[in-house]
This record gives sequence, C-alpha cells and structure tokens, in this order.
Amino acid sequence: MDHEPLIIRRALDGDEGALRALWTRHAPHIDMVVRRLVGGDVDLAADIAQEVWIQIFRALPSYRGDSQFGTWAHRIAVNRTLNALRKTRRLASIETEVQEDSASVEPDHERTFVAQSIEAAAAKLSPGACAVFMLHDVEGYTHEEIAQELGITAGGSKSQLFKARAKLRKLLAHLVDVKDISISGKESLHVTSTERVAPVY
Amino acid sequence: MSHPPNVSHLSTERLAALSDESPNAAELAHLATCAECARERAVYQNLLELASSESARLGAPLTSWERLAPALVADGVIDNGRPLPAVSRARRGRSGWMQAAAAVLLVGGGVVAGRYTAGAAVLPTSAATARPAVNDSVPHFASVEEARAAQVQSQLTFQTATAFLAQRDTNAAVSETPATIRTRLATLDQVREVVGKALNDAPYDPVINGYYLTTVGQREATLRQLNTALPAGMRLTSY
Repeated sequence: MDHEPLIIRRALDGDEGALRALWTRHAPHIDMVVRRLVGGDVDLAADIAQEVWIQIFRALPSYRGDSQFGTWAHRIAVNRTLNALRKTRRLASIETEVQEDSASVEPDHERTFVAQSIEAAAAKLSPGACAVFMLHDVEGYTHEEIAQELGITAGGSKSQLFKARAKLRKLLAHLVDVKDISISGKESLHVTSTERVAPVY
Repeated sequence: MSHPPNVSHLSTERLAALSDESPNAAELAHLATCAECARERAVYQNLLELASSESARLGAPLTSWERLAPALVADGVIDNGRPLPAVSRARRGRSGWMQAAAAVLLVGGGVVAGRYTAGAAVLPTSAATARPAVNDSVPHFASVEEARAAQVQSQLTFQTATAFLAQRDTNAAVSETPATIRTRLATLDQVREVVGKALNDAPYDPVINGYYLTTVGQREATLRQLNTALPAGMRLTSY
C-alpha cells in the first residue's frame, strides 16, 4: 500500500518530516542517477545532487500525480544534472569529444586497473558519450528523448552510443567476454560476470 | 576463420548496434557462419544486460539531510513555523496537514473554552501542575502549538540521530550482521503495513502520520545499511 500521496501533501505544506521521508525514500536512486551522469567527480556530483533535490522540492507544487513521484523526480534529476554539466562545459562539443574519445583505449596493462563497475568504466568516456550511454542503456531513454535532452539528433545519439559501447566493451572485457559460442544455429552464451545479486532482504 | 572469405566481418559499431537492433538478412547470414562476429555480438548483448542491471544499483548517498535541510529552510520549502517568503506561502495550498493542525488547535481551544464556560479553571489545578518538576530536563509546554512543535522536533532529532548512528557507530555495526538487519527490515515492513492501514482510516491523525513517517525513514536507512553490510560482490537490486 503506497501512502506517498499523503506524504507529498504534507510535504507541500512544508512539513520537514514529510520532505525528509521523500528524500530518504528516493535519494538512493536520484543520487545514483546524478553520480552516473557526472562520472568520477564525486564533489561535483554531490553539489549537483544538492541542487537537484532543492529543485525537486521547489517544483513539488507542480507535481500533478500523473506519474509516480520517483519517475517525476528522476526526470528533474536528469534535466538538472545535464544543465549543470552544460554550465561547467562538460557537455560541450559532444560529437567531437566522442570521436576523439573512441579513438583511443587504454593499453592492456592499464586495463587491469580499470574499476570493475560500469560506473567506473563509463567515467573513462567523455562526458558526452557517458551521458548518452547512461541515458540509453542504463536509464532506458530513447534516442529521441536523448536528442531532445542533449540538443543533438537521434542519429547522432545512436552513433555516439555505439562508439561508447565499443569502448566499454574493451574496458569491461573481464565482465562481458564470452568464452565459447556455437554457430551451428544455436548460440551458447557464457556470461562471465561474477557479481551475485542479493534479494531485497 | 569460419566465414566465407568474400564476406567481411561486421564493423565494431555495427556489432555494438546489434545488441538491441535486429540484423538484416546479409548480417544474419554472416553471423550464422562467422564465430568471431557471433561471439562479439554476444559480448555486446552481455554489456547491454550489465548496463540494464546497473539501473537498479544503489550507491552511497551524495546528499545528506543535514546539508539539504538548511538550504530548503532558506528557500522557504521547509516550514518550521517561521514566517515564510510571500511567494513560498502563496504557492502552497492549505491542504490536509494544515487542516489537521488547525483541528488540533480547535479541539484544544474547545477543551479550554469548555472548561472555562463550565466554571472550571482553564488549566488543571490538580497535583499534576502543582507537582514539582522531577527532572529539570523534562520540558513544560505553555500551549498545544508549543508541544506540537516540540513533538515534531523530537521526531526529527530521533530520526537524525538514528541515521547518524547507523552510519558512524562502528561499535554497533560490528554486532549487526546482514541477517539481523534483514530481520529489522522485515519487522519494519510489517509495522509499515499495519500503520499504513491505520493511515487509511485516519489519514490526518498526527500520531499515526508520525509513526508512518518514522517507519518509512527507518526502513530506508536500514536498507542503506544492509547495502553496505553485504559481502563484496553482492548488492541489492531494488529497495
């Protein structure tokens, strides 16, 4: 049973407990979205996340309940983060950044030092390529939505995504490589990911 | 190489695209005979699955309520009873919580008025008020509003202290295994369900609201604690 609408109504009246309840419930996801889009700069991500939450609560009176609060807040987080990154010029010249970025990959001996998560590997991409990859493959945005958010074409978004994937494929080889495959009609995939997944509790 | 010599391999970008796009007839024919390209396609599909699973991953929070709350107070979003900027007040509707608070004041006022009109003293003159303070730290309230503000503040203090201890009290953390945290989580879920049902019957009851918010807050804090207490390589996929 979800009583979030009641909490939101209290939050609209400025009740700190309700505002905090919303923050507590959604911060793990919202902060994670910001962290992914910003990349490795944790201080910058923390500053942007702070701005994001202020913006979410400022905009609360405009929340109509047409979608889940989390979905609505997520959209604000993406918009606000991309705007903040634009201000810091981290998304400038997206097209050329991706081109240059895809041209070079760390040599093998450095690859062992690449952190073992997508978040860390994506931080090796240019900010623009990281944003396209995170928005499409992680957050589930369409190329049309990404194009709108980033001010590029849908085709440009696709092109950048495939280049970003190509680089991540090398950076995350230890997680995604396939050992054997049969081409006799049926593919036998062997996912080499060692990460176990825990239930909620 | 198991593919016909006159057919070139698929490009890296095309293989990356094929993780979520369908191959055309020529590409399909090539993939059926070229183990190298078929393997690369599978690798990209693994990458896509890995990325999809990333969306459910939770990390250490970037924000803290202790840092966020002052900014929200300054912005007029949090109303702690202090005068708010006109714009902030104007954009808020006077909804249930304020009505509930008003109702509490009305009821309190009604009791006071009732006692007055019945000829009784406005405030009880029993031993309760004549009794000397047992402990100087026990607060005394001059009004319902003051008591209510103290109640809200106490609740916030409790929640903040609990969250702080969950993150910083290393002595307590030693004895808290993932199993004990899971037990707490399951208990909080039960409490949330019970209080949630009560909230349906009395949506504006301040006590029930307080319990509900505390339970929700504690549950989320416990989830975060569990996420950090899990062994390396394990993680929560949802919360």
